[in-house]
Amino acid sequence: MSRFDQGRDRQLRWIAGRQIYLDWENFLWDSDDWSEAVALALARESGLETLSPTHWAVIHFLRDFYSYHGRAPMNKEIKQGTGLNLMELERLFPQGIKAGAKRLAGLPNPKACL
Amino acid sequence: MTAACAQLKDAQHMIYLDNAATTYPKPPHLLAQMAALYGRIGASPGRGSHDMAALAEEYIRQARVKLAAFFGAPDPARVIFTANATDSLNLAIQGLVQPGDHVIATRLEHNSVLRPLYHLQREKQITFTLVPFDGHGVVDPQAIAAAFLPRTRLVIVNHISNVLGTVQPVEEVGEICAAHGIDFLVDGSQSAGQIAVDMGAIKASAVAFTGHKSLYGPSGIGGLVLHPDLYIRPTRFGGTGIDSRDRMHTDYFPYRLEAGTPNLLGIIGLSLSLDYLLSHGIEQQHSRQMALMERLASGLLEINGIKRYSPGGASRNSAMLTVNIDGMASQDVAAILDGDFDIAVRAGLHCAPLVHEDLGTSERGAVRFSIGQFNTEAEINRTIAAMAMIAKQHS
Repeated sequence: MSRFDQGRDRQLRWIAGRQIYLDWENFLWDSDDWSEAVALALARESGLETLSPTHWAVIHFLRDFYSYHGRAPMNKEIKQGTGLNLMELERLFPQGIKAGAKRLAGLPNPKACL
Repeated sequence: MTAACAQLKDAQHMIYLDNAATTYPKPPHLLAQMAALYGRIGASPGRGSHDMAALAEEYIRQARVKLAAFFGAPDPARVIFTANATDSLNLAIQGLVQPGDHVIATRLEHNSVLRPLYHLQREKQITFTLVPFDGHGVVDPQAIAAAFLPRTRLVIVNHISNVLGTVQPVEEVGEICAAHGIDFLVDGSQSAGQIAVDMGAIKASAVAFTGHKSLYGPSGIGGLVLHPDLYIRPTRFGGTGIDSRDRMHTDYFPYRLEAGTPNLLGIIGLSLSLDYLLSHGIEQQHSRQMALMERLASGLLEINGIKRYSPGGASRNSAMLTVNIDGMASQDVAAILDGDFDIAVRAGLHCAPLVHEDLGTSERGAVRFSIGQFNTEAEINRTIAAMAMIAKQHS
């Protein structure tokens, strides 16, 4: 059966001592389930044993922006808000910008295009 | 490219390479002309008892004549205006198939074909067969013929793949369909305005097109061009401005397949953009864009870590190129191109999931560059340099 025919379901997993729903790409199903402990647990799964101050600054910028505006920041907003260019940001997280930074920040999985 | 457009693009500092999604910018002065004309004749076409309504209706009639000539269609009354190509394809598919019918399409199709087919199959109305494409991104017409069943009613082919950019052999498919008495629907979303789409030459029963891609019109307008012999049921019913006493929707074309107030502003924009295209020469523009595409392709292929999915060979290609950078999510590449380099592309599955399934890119998608009339060699060179920088930084 092709991916086209499959539904996209959530999965219940133990993360940082709690049972949390994640989607098929391990994004938080409910952004309110985020905590720093959850972020650290997801980071360790992606190969980051610790999160540096720069990591946390990016994560908190993304969360604060989402919380205030009700949407994820656009590309140039990310640059302005983090002080990093996007190439640097992509290198900072092992899984890149979307599956790395945005996922660890607990932002919803963007529905566009995939 | 005109000096005005060059200035505008410089001022905006953006390199727009997403013309397969929609063309940008539109031709100089088009939007202003569109608004000005709408300001002069913007009545409800054919629905008032005054000259302005009659003028508006006449403008639309002339637009149908222009489009019929453009698509090599014999009857302007069979040029049906819709909201876009998706609307056209839905109108055609749902108006042509009957319960129990079999439909043949390809694995290159856009969701605007796939989703109606999957929906009708789920509703147990039809069955369908999807013919694969080869390593050159092209469907074999004989494979389509081999898929015919006694209840095959319709064949649908995407004229140019919106992922691979490959031009499909619609002339051969049309011949086969005509020989078997099977209707042939061509999705001209990417081809109309880039290459010739002549209904007679390709023996198409119907061609679906959209106004806002290579026809350089505004969004919100498209069309379905029909062969006069094609029987198609209406699937929308309502006011047409004629035969108002009749409780039943009219059988007269084009109103048979149109209901409600037409998108006059969109039709004006489409008509004006068609004038622009024809005055600048579609073939010359296409040749220019293909030269830029070849420059982009050869430049990207020199970069370590770039994988190209669009097969080479200009005779079967359009001005579109799809690639990935090893180890990078396609959406991250697109984000970096946009955020760091002001280059607009499209990443993901491009609403054509089966193409990506067959390419092995279902999980990550791919990055598509699509060149338009107003792109320049300098922009292509900057794009190559940007991709080189991204690939090097990541490796």
